[in-house]
Amino acid sequence: MADDDDAVFRALADPTRRHLLDRLYERDGRTLTELESELAMTRFGVMKHLRVLEDAGLVVTRRSGREKLHYLNPVPIRLIHDRWIDKYTEHRVSALAELKTQLEDTA
Amino acid sequence: MTTATAQATQVFSIAIKATPEAIWEAITTPEFTAKYFHGARITVAPDHYHSLGPDGSVWGDAEVFEFDPPRLLVHGWRSLYDPELAEEPPSRVTWEIEPQESGYCMLTVTHDQLDASPKTAANIAGWTYIISSLKTLLETGVPLPR
Repeated sequence: MADDDDAVFRALADPTRRHLLDRLYERDGRTLTELESELAMTRFGVMKHLRVLEDAGLVVTRRSGREKLHYLNPVPIRLIHDRWIDKYTEHRVSALAELKTQLEDTA
Repeated sequence: MTTATAQATQVFSIAIKATPEAIWEAITTPEFTAKYFHGARITVAPDHYHSLGPDGSVWGDAEVFEFDPPRLLVHGWRSLYDPELAEEPPSRVTWEIEPQESGYCMLTVTHDQLDASPKTAANIAGWTYIISSLKTLLETGVPLPR
């Protein structure tokens, strides 16, 4: 199931997969052949990594004629952010924001 | 977000623990959309898509191309809430609802035909927040804080 933090963390825990996400972030809707050409890796290897990203919901594929295009789906990262980052940083960030307001008001 | 060029097709996908009917209602009725879509009251009829901002101004007004409850909705998109974006040609938004196992549905929003609308394309990363908030609303009854 795509609604699974474990799958997202696992998918992100690999430098090649993060590299693939960065490539898609630069330009979305790419074919396997395009993505493969930028990596020193076999077609099969790249396919396996894309499969893991797809299973985690980080990549969504669309058919366009005879081609299969890969799109970055940012939503699972947003959910991780909401669940794991916001929770731990919100307090500190708001304390800093308050400090800024106080300092600027008294200046 | 500053260096990447905006994409002509953008895809946003999320698993929601809700029925297809509940998701369809949430994306087509103004009482629902007001809670997660930046306060917009959105009405979707088989032939027309209409969005009103919280202040009553028109945010969106477009044709509906496909209306197949509770599976598929395709409508035009014009960003009327921003004068600069409103000048760009209309683009297209597709909502697909696919039931999965154990009470989940996959909701996929595809915003495309943005080739001639670069400013709109650069502006629609907000879908991520909107559909995350929709998920939270449907699963917990409360939208994300903002």
